[in-house]
Amino acid sequence: MRIHVTVNGSPRELEVAPNTTLLDHLRDDLHLTGTKECCDMGECGACTVLIDGRSVNSCLMLAVEADASEVTTIEGMARDGRLNALQDAFLAKGAVQCGFCIPGQVMAAQYLLQRNPHPTLAEVREGLSGNLCRCGGYVQICEAVLAASEFGR
Amino acid sequence: MTIGTSERRFGGYERVTGSQQFVADISLEQMLHVKLVHVDCGHARILSIDTAQASAGPGVVCVLTAAELPQPMPRYGPVFNDRPILAVGETKYHGQAVAAVAAESKAAAEAAAELVRVEYEELPGVFTVAAALDSASPLVQEPELRPDDPLNHTNVLREKRFGWGDVEAAKADLIVENVYMFPMITHFAIEPHAFIAAPEGGGGVAVWTATQNPFQMQRILARMLGLPVAKVRVRAPDPGGAFGGKQHPKYEPLVAFLALRTGRPVRLLLTLEETFQEVRRTSCEIRARTGFHGDGTISFQDIRSDFLMGAYADIAERVIDKSNYLACGPYRVPSSRTVVRALFSHTTPSTAFRGFGTPQVSWAHESQMDDAARRLGMDRVEIRLRNLARKGEAFVPGDTPADGDWAESVRKGAEAIGWGTPLAAGRGRGLAVAIKASATTGASYSIVRLHWDGSATVLAGTSDMGQGARTVLAQVAAHELGIPLEWTTVVMGDTATVPFDLQTSASRSTVFMGQAVMRACQDINAQLKQMAAELHATDAPVVELLRARFSEVRGEVIGVGSYRSEYQPDHPLGGAPSFYEFTCTASEVEVDEGTGEILLVKHVTVADVGKALNPQHVEMQDEGAAVMGLGHTLMEHILLDESGRIRNLGALDYRIPTTKDLPLEMHSLLVENGDGPGPYGSKGAGEGGLMATAPAVASAVTEATGVVIRDLPLTPERVWREIHGKGDA
Amino acid sequence: MQQFTYASPAALSEALALLEEHGADAALLAGGTDLVVALRNRTLRPKVVVDLKRVAELRPSMSEAQGWITISAATPLTDISEDQRIRAKYPALVDAALTVGSAQIRNRATLTGNICHASPAADTAPALLVYGATINVASVRGTRRVGVAEFFLGPRQTVLQPGELVTSIDLPVAAERRAATFARTTRRRGVDLATISLCCMVDATGLTQFAYGAVGPRPFVVADESGVLADPDSGDAAKDEVLRRLLTQASPISDVRGSREYREAMLLVMSRRALRTSIAKLAAA
Repeated sequence: MRIHVTVNGSPRELEVAPNTTLLDHLRDDLHLTGTKECCDMGECGACTVLIDGRSVNSCLMLAVEADASEVTTIEGMARDGRLNALQDAFLAKGAVQCGFCIPGQVMAAQYLLQRNPHPTLAEVREGLSGNLCRCGGYVQICEAVLAASEFGR
Repeated sequence: MTIGTSERRFGGYERVTGSQQFVADISLEQMLHVKLVHVDCGHARILSIDTAQASAGPGVVCVLTAAELPQPMPRYGPVFNDRPILAVGETKYHGQAVAAVAAESKAAAEAAAELVRVEYEELPGVFTVAAALDSASPLVQEPELRPDDPLNHTNVLREKRFGWGDVEAAKADLIVENVYMFPMITHFAIEPHAFIAAPEGGGGVAVWTATQNPFQMQRILARMLGLPVAKVRVRAPDPGGAFGGKQHPKYEPLVAFLALRTGRPVRLLLTLEETFQEVRRTSCEIRARTGFHGDGTISFQDIRSDFLMGAYADIAERVIDKSNYLACGPYRVPSSRTVVRALFSHTTPSTAFRGFGTPQVSWAHESQMDDAARRLGMDRVEIRLRNLARKGEAFVPGDTPADGDWAESVRKGAEAIGWGTPLAAGRGRGLAVAIKASATTGASYSIVRLHWDGSATVLAGTSDMGQGARTVLAQVAAHELGIPLEWTTVVMGDTATVPFDLQTSASRSTVFMGQAVMRACQDINAQLKQMAAELHATDAPVVELLRARFSEVRGEVIGVGSYRSEYQPDHPLGGAPSFYEFTCTASEVEVDEGTGEILLVKHVTVADVGKALNPQHVEMQDEGAAVMGLGHTLMEHILLDESGRIRNLGALDYRIPTTKDLPLEMHSLLVENGDGPGPYGSKGAGEGGLMATAPAVASAVTEATGVVIRDLPLTPERVWREIHGKGDA
Repeated sequence: MQQFTYASPAALSEALALLEEHGADAALLAGGTDLVVALRNRTLRPKVVVDLKRVAELRPSMSEAQGWITISAATPLTDISEDQRIRAKYPALVDAALTVGSAQIRNRATLTGNICHASPAADTAPALLVYGATINVASVRGTRRVGVAEFFLGPRQTVLQPGELVTSIDLPVAAERRAATFARTTRRRGVDLATISLCCMVDATGLTQFAYGAVGPRPFVVADESGVLADPDSGDAAKDEVLRRLLTQASPISDVRGSREYREAMLLVMSRRALRTSIAKLAAA
């Protein structure tokens, strides 16, 4: 099927099979491999992307459902090679270990801060509770989100 | 001065932008996609496999079963060559592959895998310690795989004994005797296992795998394929979390055979569920009998541990050796007798897992200390301080003496948790310690290239799986060469370009590879010194010296460094531990007696790291380990049904901690006395934070509720059952 | 995932016609958070997937008219939990909705999908039961309204007949003062499926209702009309007696999330707590 999607700001006309998840389409067809695959059931958050500004698990969405939507992936966060405040805060606070969950964490945090620019720690913990990090860097991840929210003030 | 500074992670930019290439992100031209075929029980006799329909499927290039592989079936493993490429005759655990389909697309491979008809007969299986020890149970491993082993007609792989003194003659005022259980835990790296293989020119093969151990993989593949080591190239992109689970070969031999068979690159991405079926921590039952004198000092330890490994030996012998070696913990124990067995079962092969046998024994020895303290009316911190080995004391007779001021860690932990201060109602505190014998034998090599412009490339075989080895090795090189950190690049993860390293395990890289890099830099510095003398420019900055020496033709200075610790056949571990990883963990909890839920109010870990080369990296790892430890303490366990199937297979019902499961307050403290064997007095780190979590939290729960729990995890239901005297579910 | 065709009708009539035509071969897609998992695991093998998100009549909306607040079928849980009217009038539904998965899940998952999936553990079901929701059902043959208490038949089973779909959920706007509390137990504090879930409502007339999830083949609602539970002055023993009687309808099973025995015990413990909270809320209201 043919769909029209804006991916990281660029309008695209794409051919997708109905039985393809958005995650597979991003990774296999568009080669946007920054979005990660782990649990394939919406439990880990590694595949988080924004659809029209809302965070979603791209493993739980068919690619065809994205028709006429704006899709933002981790590749759309840095501009001209410059990290956004959230990405920079993740590095400054030591929130990145193996890094496999990080694209999903950044996207979930981006959504959180868009909705709530000055969250409390409890709100950050709530907002990121759908993103698993097995390296266990949650303390630093939450600190990074709070730091990025400060930065935006 | 970069050493001791919290430099930003090397590779961090790639990780926050999504440009870091993990194995599953790599796609090769003409690549085939592989899907595995399993049967739905733990132990089965394979009666027939019909691949005709699958082979005829659209896009299917190859359907492989044991019958199409060389005969006899090539087998492999890190120590024992017992694991077949595909199941032969029988499946021995839930999820073991019986066939593999290679097709032009993922969808085609999946569709064809469904069409492979496997006729099988479910057989009785061995799923528990009791069953493994029952002589009426089936044998998991065929005796002919270990013909000269006297235990080959049992399900015991190895039984090991260690100790000193005379336990039978030891006098004690109090004997504490209990049984402790530690469940099966899965690694749950967020990156599921992924493998790629491609034929290479000259009859060789290249394999991409997220391994902690590229050189072992190279050795094993070379042997199986009958190729010289130089013809096998293992590329190890940084693993997306490993924790021991990516140390030893899994399906790399299968993809290598498929690549050579089809003449094309092949890629196998395991699902998370399949990953759970391939790796886990050894579950364990420990019977501990500990004698104490009236003053709380230990008289003897008499410990018997049974580790239920899985269907193949993998690295289990090493796990039980290391676990048993320090089964008495970091204490002064006059008499010790520790016996351990590794038992086969029809379950997921257990493998290395952060802590490597230590969380299991510390669960026992620390809970014993608490039990004794309660019975003797002693303070739980005091009884530990009274027994802890002092720095320099040979607490394992004849071996590496205690290499840290461990009491300092305990005092720090006790202070940070507020030990002895008033407790709110419903709350309790606990404190526990643990010790792990670090890397013993091993070798690490490094080549450092100081380029003509003064920048440097470090070649190191370490795998950066999140611990930050890339950053720390760059810091060592920059410091030694006196160049800015930004001028260094670290190349890792490719056996064709980096020199040999034994493995990335046992928290060894900072010490072993750190020393190798340091020595390579010292080699360069010696060459520079000679260069300067020849050019009569002894005071010239490095950059000028290089310019003067190399002029327009250019060139570079190559330094080589190595760090080896040789095999000692008479040592129970094959060599003395190069350092001990010591941890103190303290926790304050609040227990909801109505539901059994535990609220972690505060959690503190103390790591004796010698010297933190990058404090932020050390803290994030230690806290990360603590969070992982909270997982096996509070919620994680693999549950099997009567057919050996994993009942909670997958992320929905195998629960790991989330942000909301964090303690309300969490601290990671470091002890830095510069007393380690690594660069600048460093020791390895990163495992400690989880080694004493369970006994610390359980001790706090006991103080809060009065009940003692000796079985993990401390789920709400288990805690509730204990509080309300309901027995096991 | 096996092959299927995808339809994204713009009008309800079109969606209903597709459903009528394909019957059991059609699967309805709203948020997709349950459906896509089933497609991947091949537990569902539809020939046609009918996406309801672009159906004009089902598009996200919450409207109030004639004593009802109507939530359209494609409204995601995030919208529901953020809506000021819903927050003010149905706080226990908001609390329940906020336990459904993560933010990412709630951005897609719908209330309608949550009940049509008919998991015995559906978190929103107990709240809908005590609030007395009515389900609006449509097919090519017409429309009908079903009380939520009659909607669930068993695990994955509802009263929906082939060709029928849920267009919206109506929540009655209550006249009397009332207070409801959602409660659940889980294996961890972060996102989890409920071991048990419940919703307790007391109102100014002395009526107390309890609805339960994850403790039987379907969520159910029971009521205490004696006034004992709602009475702040009745003793714990008297309340327990009533609660135990109400709970006889529960028939929890043992599974990986908890044993039958634990679930039974938690039903009583959490019921007591939710009742206390509801009584306090009512007094404060």
